[in-house]
Amino acid sequence: MTPTEDEDQEHPSEAWETELAQVGFLRRILNARRWYGADWWFVAISTLMVLAFIVVAIFPNLFSPYSPDDLVGPRFLAPGAHPALTVLIVPKDSPVNTLKDLAVAEGATRPTIGVVQGLPTGGVLNEQAQKIDNQIKNESGALRLRPRINRYPTLELLLQAVAAGEAQAAVVQSDEFEAVSAQFSTLHEAESVTGEASSAGGFILGTNDIGQDVLSRLLWGTRIALIIGFSASLVALSLGVPLGLVAGYLGGAFDRLLSLLMDSLYAFPGLILAIAITAVLGPSLFNVIVAIAVLYIPTYYRIVRGQTLSAKEELYVEAARSIGASNVEILRRYIFPNVIPSVAIIFSVNVADAILTGAGLSFLGLGLPPTLADWGIDLARGQRFIQVAWWMITFPGLAIMLIVLAFTMMGEGLTEIFNPKLRER
Amino acid sequence: MSPLALIALFIGVPTILLMAYVFARGSAGLRRYILTRIGLTLPMIFILASLVFFVMRVLPGDPVSSALGPKGTPEEVQRIRGQLGLNDPLLVQYGRFLGGMFTLQFGDSLVGGHRPIVDEMSERFPATLELVIPASILALLTGVLGGALAASHRKDALDYGLRIYSVIIYSLPLFWFGLMLQLVFGVWLRWLPISGRIDPVLGTTLVHATNLYTLDSLLSANAPAFQSVILHLILPTVTLGLILSGVFVRLTRINVIETLQADYIVAARARGIREHVLLYGHALTNAMIPVITLIGLQVAILLAGAVLTETVFSWPGLGSYLVERISSRDYTAVQSVIAMFAMLVAFISLAVDVIYSLLDPRVRY
Repeated sequence: MTPTEDEDQEHPSEAWETELAQVGFLRRILNARRWYGADWWFVAISTLMVLAFIVVAIFPNLFSPYSPDDLVGPRFLAPGAHPALTVLIVPKDSPVNTLKDLAVAEGATRPTIGVVQGLPTGGVLNEQAQKIDNQIKNESGALRLRPRINRYPTLELLLQAVAAGEAQAAVVQSDEFEAVSAQFSTLHEAESVTGEASSAGGFILGTNDIGQDVLSRLLWGTRIALIIGFSASLVALSLGVPLGLVAGYLGGAFDRLLSLLMDSLYAFPGLILAIAITAVLGPSLFNVIVAIAVLYIPTYYRIVRGQTLSAKEELYVEAARSIGASNVEILRRYIFPNVIPSVAIIFSVNVADAILTGAGLSFLGLGLPPTLADWGIDLARGQRFIQVAWWMITFPGLAIMLIVLAFTMMGEGLTEIFNPKLRER
Repeated sequence: MSPLALIALFIGVPTILLMAYVFARGSAGLRRYILTRIGLTLPMIFILASLVFFVMRVLPGDPVSSALGPKGTPEEVQRIRGQLGLNDPLLVQYGRFLGGMFTLQFGDSLVGGHRPIVDEMSERFPATLELVIPASILALLTGVLGGALAASHRKDALDYGLRIYSVIIYSLPLFWFGLMLQLVFGVWLRWLPISGRIDPVLGTTLVHATNLYTLDSLLSANAPAFQSVILHLILPTVTLGLILSGVFVRLTRINVIETLQADYIVAARARGIREHVLLYGHALTNAMIPVITLIGLQVAILLAGAVLTETVFSWPGLGSYLVERISSRDYTAVQSVIAMFAMLVAFISLAVDVIYSLLDPRVRY
């Protein structure tokens, strides 16, 4: 590597080294250069993104408007669209404003409420009327709400009936009423039957095929993604690093056998191996973590073994041995600190990789139980409705991309911090 | 054509021809290198196959009873287990599995018509090839050209654009990229079909000789079928190819930049050789050597990517076969496909290393 860039001449490598020896970690971060030609702020941005994802993963309930598993809205509602409310339509001069106002004393003439035949509004009305009836029966006892429900073949006929006083009120979908409201100037929209305000219940990213909120599932999915990413990488790290240290330090047949095994694992397509393992273990979060962890053991093993091989030839290791340090102590105190920086870099990139692999597994329907709020599962589900709901497949994938980007960028940034002399590799 | 001959034709023959050529033409050192390399490949296949076998057998769960489901009586399960040889000692089964790998006789499927797995795989394998080959070509072309462009426009907008492209491509989940392409070009613009290999109506007119639909439709001069096959190929190929191209852009760019600083380039420039000849004729050819090693490493990613691409595009290849058989708990098929993938990875990386040793005379063991 020939230093030809201008910056390299301004900061010869010796200068870097002395400077870095004197300053602390924070200064190192600030001095990190050239991540893909960018400056340290690239590292800062990626770290902030990672932190943001971690905060969302720990407290998804603070950010998500709904529970990820509840059916909170109509199916296939586009992002930003408001769900149509079931509203009460009454003549403008009528004192009635809510369903409750239609309650009458026991024995009096029951009010007539009209609905359109065959629409779910009838069911909503029945349910709500019963609920209110139970409520007021307990409160006062004198009033009851048991309306006579008339079914009309079309919306026009229904509204004409209300305008003519044939029925006291109509229960319809608000958007349907708005479309024809000009023809019925004597009628107006009273409150919603279910008691929801029309401004509430927005779905920023829309709803999915069974009426769950896409945004809430997205936010809760962060938790699953990070659990998989972190635990799988941690398990792989805690197996790969000691194995690499021991194999590199001891050498011999143990090293050769283990290296052959690890190289074979490393060369094999990771996703396919994970598929095989989860296929046998069955779908669960724990099994996905195990399967992915197995894939990444060789990554740590290879790097740590290589660094151990060169570190054990160092003079200070020789010195430690000559003063009678045990093998364990040499590994722990003299060799292990050498591998920490590279392990930290691999870890960060590894989390990104593990999240991608985990999402791939659940996309294939192999990793996680299919009801869990997970990005891969939501994508697989969205694929079936690609013709009707673009938002179901767009946002979970975007989330995967952003989280992977954040961790990869952080890994690259760490490389710059730990190896300032390294050129853009 | 028998399935065995088909697979051998696709992978075995080119590899063996290449090795024979290198072996005959090469020096003694090169021969030794190739023998060592083969010596390392066989244990690798062996280890992977054993791993897959024991993972499938040691872990809990009985393939037969889960394949039969609640309908299977204990007697039925026992009968089928006996038929499949699952009641034999583990070591006997292991020996049979390893032997089967070398003769490509993987046994019969546990589900459906209990057909030989090698028949099923040889129906599916051409589809994977038809996807993987154009995708690799696309990845290499865009990757190498992009990398060379970025290197020659160092620190320009083009350079930054291409570098950002390679980072974003790296972070893109392949399956999501495929879904987005389907959404834009298939659903919104309606330009391209989003699933399958051929229009089902035209598919009935196609003569299935090699199961490579492009070849089949060309051989039978079936123009509408050929057009449909090509249209169906575009989205899966672009998905897989572009995802793979990012890392090639990155590596080519670095290598070209480094090569452009070499003394012989400076000397050539001093002799007045034009800049684009320098870039494409001198620097790029030399910068390609590390890129070729990368191809060997990318084979694994290519195959894993093929599994996802095939699932997204309902492409009836080996990858979607694997996923289907996992859902139907056909463990014999699953372990055979994985063994097949292991052999593919090992042989292709062997071939790449041999090509590499031909191109770069410095490489020796």
